[in-house]
Amino acid sequence: MRNSISVAAQSPEALPRPSGVRRFFKLLLKQRTLVFMSVPFVIWIFVFKYLPLWGWTIAFQHYRPNLGLFEQEWVGLSQFKFLFADESFIRVMRNTLAMAVIKLVLGFVTAITLAILLNELRMIVFKRTVQTISYLPHFISWVVAANIISTALSIDNDGIVNKVLMWLHLIDKPIMWLGVGHYFWGILGISEVWKDVGWNTIVYLAAMTMIDPSQYEAAEIDGASRFQRILRVTLPGLKPVVIILLIMNLGNILETGFEPQYLMGNGMNADYSENLEIFVLKYGISMGNFSLATAAGIFKTVISFVLLFSANSIAKRMGEERLF
Amino acid sequence: MVAKKFTMLGLALAMTAALAGCSSGGKSAGNSASPAASPSGSSPSASASGETAKEDLTPVTFTYFNANAQIPDIDSNKTEIGKKLEEQTGVNFKLQFPVGDVNTKIGTMIASGDYPDVLAPDTAIDKVLDAKGFIPLNDLIDQYGPNVKRVYEPYFNQMKAADGNIYFLPFSPVVGEYISNPTIDQGAFFIQRRVLKEFGYPKIKTLDEYFDLIKKYYDAHKGDNLTGFTSLTYDWRTMGIFNPPMHLAGYPNDGDVIVDMQTHEANVYADDDYTKRWLKKLNEINSEGLYDQSSFVNNYDQYLAKISSGNVLGFFDYGWEVDQALQNIKKTGNDDLDYMPLPIVFDDSVTDQYLDPPSFIDNRGVGITTSAKDPVRIMKFFDNMLKEENQVMIQWGFKGETYEVDDKGRFYRTQEQIDKLKDNATQQSIGFSYFNYSWPMYGQGSTLSDGNSFNAGRQPEVAQASFTEGDKLILDKYGVKTFSELFAKPEDRPWYPAWSISIEQGSPAQIFQQKSKDVKLKYFPKLVLSKPDQFESLWNEYLKEFGKLDVKGFENTLTQLIKNKIAKVTGSSN
Amino acid sequence: MQAPVKKVYKRFRSPGDRLFDTINVLLLLGLTVVTLYPFVNTLAVSLNDANDSIRGGIYLWPRDFSWGNYKYVFKEATIFHATLISVLRTVIGTVVTVLASAMVAYTISRPEFVLRKFVTVMFVLTMYLNGGLIPNYLLIRDLHLIGSFWVYIVPGIIGVFNMIVIRSFIEGLPEGILESARIDGAGEFRTFMRIVLPLSMPALATVALFTGVYQWNSWFDVFLYNSQVPDLSTLQYELMRMLANSNSNSSMTSASAFANSGNDNANYVTPTSIRATMTIVASLPMILVYPFLQKYFVKGMTLGGVKG
Repeated sequence: MRNSISVAAQSPEALPRPSGVRRFFKLLLKQRTLVFMSVPFVIWIFVFKYLPLWGWTIAFQHYRPNLGLFEQEWVGLSQFKFLFADESFIRVMRNTLAMAVIKLVLGFVTAITLAILLNELRMIVFKRTVQTISYLPHFISWVVAANIISTALSIDNDGIVNKVLMWLHLIDKPIMWLGVGHYFWGILGISEVWKDVGWNTIVYLAAMTMIDPSQYEAAEIDGASRFQRILRVTLPGLKPVVIILLIMNLGNILETGFEPQYLMGNGMNADYSENLEIFVLKYGISMGNFSLATAAGIFKTVISFVLLFSANSIAKRMGEERLF
Repeated sequence: MVAKKFTMLGLALAMTAALAGCSSGGKSAGNSASPAASPSGSSPSASASGETAKEDLTPVTFTYFNANAQIPDIDSNKTEIGKKLEEQTGVNFKLQFPVGDVNTKIGTMIASGDYPDVLAPDTAIDKVLDAKGFIPLNDLIDQYGPNVKRVYEPYFNQMKAADGNIYFLPFSPVVGEYISNPTIDQGAFFIQRRVLKEFGYPKIKTLDEYFDLIKKYYDAHKGDNLTGFTSLTYDWRTMGIFNPPMHLAGYPNDGDVIVDMQTHEANVYADDDYTKRWLKKLNEINSEGLYDQSSFVNNYDQYLAKISSGNVLGFFDYGWEVDQALQNIKKTGNDDLDYMPLPIVFDDSVTDQYLDPPSFIDNRGVGITTSAKDPVRIMKFFDNMLKEENQVMIQWGFKGETYEVDDKGRFYRTQEQIDKLKDNATQQSIGFSYFNYSWPMYGQGSTLSDGNSFNAGRQPEVAQASFTEGDKLILDKYGVKTFSELFAKPEDRPWYPAWSISIEQGSPAQIFQQKSKDVKLKYFPKLVLSKPDQFESLWNEYLKEFGKLDVKGFENTLTQLIKNKIAKVTGSSN
Repeated sequence: MQAPVKKVYKRFRSPGDRLFDTINVLLLLGLTVVTLYPFVNTLAVSLNDANDSIRGGIYLWPRDFSWGNYKYVFKEATIFHATLISVLRTVIGTVVTVLASAMVAYTISRPEFVLRKFVTVMFVLTMYLNGGLIPNYLLIRDLHLIGSFWVYIVPGIIGVFNMIVIRSFIEGLPEGILESARIDGAGEFRTFMRIVLPLSMPALATVALFTGVYQWNSWFDVFLYNSQVPDLSTLQYELMRMLANSNSNSSMTSASAFANSGNDNANYVTPTSIRATMTIVASLPMILVYPFLQKYFVKGMTLGGVKG
């Protein structure tokens, strides 16, 4: 946060404090343009995002969609109990967190690295071509992508991964990659990077355009090397965006998706491929149990909030960019 | 995912019928009634037809959301059959089919109370019933449904809800004598025809004989990059590895359980010797290099590709699941690579029961919703559809266009008609895709009053005409006329199929099904792919894990449900 | 990026620089191969005969070339109308969302704004809140948005993630600029329109891309709210419908089992081949439009006059 100079004139501290409420409304009146520019959207978001939250009551009901809120049968915390007491819950959470951490770390590191590598490219045509191509897999649905991945990892003739590894003499017989549980997280992590690294790079590339070129010139004059320039100019230039995205993504950490896990999961790797969403899919949605799905949603929101507020206050304490 | 299984089966049945019963033109439709109605004096449709003249024929359009099929939305009167039905009744339907998840769509209908006039909710039917989305049909049937009564009356007991009302009409009331499907779209052990050919078309019956033959062929052709046996274990498509023990022991597909013929006790067989014997056999052939190691990681596409390659000597599956691959092989014209379905069992003494016995699926159907504008007109439309001449039309189509009648009154199709009807677009424009399932109808395998098969595909004349030269040759070698003749006749099982019995959503029994599936999926690959000397200890480990689930409770629940169903069924036959 | 910077680089290219450049180019070439493959493979499958594709083993080019899948996809005229709706919702939705998000982003970037924290928190929390499908459906119904084009636009007017990204950019703008505008007597709204928007082009282009792709790919809202209104169907929804139909087409042949000889009619399709075809059909416009947005964040922008 920059503290703009302009604030000084109207900063609350600078004014005598007649009464909090009056001062507030006075300021509000003064800032009416800003109010008009934002408050209608606050009303909008209240209607579209907060009003439907009455649906959380479903988690505490034996929900029947045809009945009104007060006609429902209330079952207390039984859905939560089912979720937390299931013997697989610990395993499911372990998988979810492992996938989430891998996705978060790998996702950030690869996207930022790619953005920097692209930024260091001198040939503009090559740069734009590489960037466009790397963005393509984002448009391939998981169903198609999972098929390509399963084929590439197959132990049969068409499994290119095994072929290459054998050719390099790194392995002496094909490995059934999707049949070994503890490979799954890695396979998933790499697949996600493969699919979305180009897409995720876009926001960093945009952030780089905001870096003042004179900073590079200054670093140049100081005799900074290529790496030093990246470290001293590019990365600090990206920092505000990176931190904001990091905080937002931390809040989303339990959203690890279900498609790739579902499509590439099987009995042999289930101990590692089943995450929270798959669990909810199996015991909630596919059984028509809206209540379990809602309970899991509430659980996720609680975790999200805890992480979000912690991350935000850590950022604040470190004097970094923060979300709110 | 029994529900899913059912959907597929239902679809497969529907489509069998669709394929078999095709036609092209509606111009001669007027004649179509005559052959059907002629032989029996008490024509099945007579009672209501006299009143038709006075009927209200003002044009009206209703909406029908049909979750059983996924075909393009259409106005029913844009199809030839629908046009004909509109001429008779004045009723047109806006037919709508799901694109996304059915449960979601129906969930929003229930929550908002806005239903289409007519609804076939497929697996979501329990929710619609629970929400009282359907109106009771009893009085409507009494007043306006003489044909509905004729067709469904024997099943009224099973159709009644706990409150004594009938809320929907199922699709499977068998009328007349039951005719089995001449081809195998259900479970079987498939073996490549070149294997049988090389050894002079031996008769093989037991699992050992089956694998011995595959091994003999495999050993004789080392270097050909062959796969001895493969299975599919992907998503809900796990029947290829889960279900064989039941069939090998001489039972039809009852899902997770084997039902005793005398006591009607349901028994989960996944922890039985049957399953152990099956897995041990797979373990054995795996150690001999015959088993496809990637069976447990392949997805459906990879599995189909494997079978289409022609390099797989054998597999167990349900016909409808592998058909895309089999069609592909047929297209190559190399009959050696084609497959033969066989009713393999554990021992010589076992009688196979692969073929489905006649069954009345009482938890799928079509109902009139509380939003319906004019239930009377809809019921009249249903009743009109159930007239026998219209039942002929929805399956066989139009005489001279999509079927012919010989001098003995038998229906048949020319090669040209059969070929024409392979085209999906033709199926849709005539309306077979839209009308031969998901409406009040005669059940699959019904017989018309003149002795012709209700389903065109089950009429021997039609089946014969669609066999390839290779099909005919191999049938001849085994001395049979149809593929199903090699299979034993299904015994009567009033509860059949147990997998279609509704289990309450989210109940312990349903959770058991999911959990037991997970345990099986986890252990079966280990059991099959392990070294033979580890099999016993792994099996015990598996039993221990499986034993943690409430097997007994599930069996009791199912036994109770089966007994209830039997009581309803036998109650109705008195 | 910048002309002067480039010159500097060129002048002092050390051996280390050269090595770096070589490795960099090689790495990115590798990435290109790996990320181009799925697209090429999908294109090959889409141009291959559907029935033949079941055999698998198609990698870089079709084995049994056929336009059949594309003919199937384009056989009905409705798809063109659906494409028009898709274009409309993408264009309108993107313009509205980008403007609205930027506007709110601007207000919460003003440190002196008394409601800043309140507004920010109200928005941010919704990223992690979801009332669920049924309550949302009932809300849309009660607002009479069912069966209306606006159901594609109104519920998504502001993308919170996008808004925060824009805010982060606005906060990174050189400090003096907004100040000087205000000293010139420009009101908040004018400052926003005249100065903030043009200067935030890279961020707006990024957000426009995110929103545009989201709008273009959406089909679930069509399924939930507008499946009864054929005139408001979108390209993605029509493609989903074809995919669903191809499922039942392939099980239709399945039922024929042994009763029929090889099925070689022209309109035979499978889910796999339709999925490949719809991937190409749906993503091509996004790929063609991309370079026009890309120039805002890949070439780099001169902050020219702003710098001073």
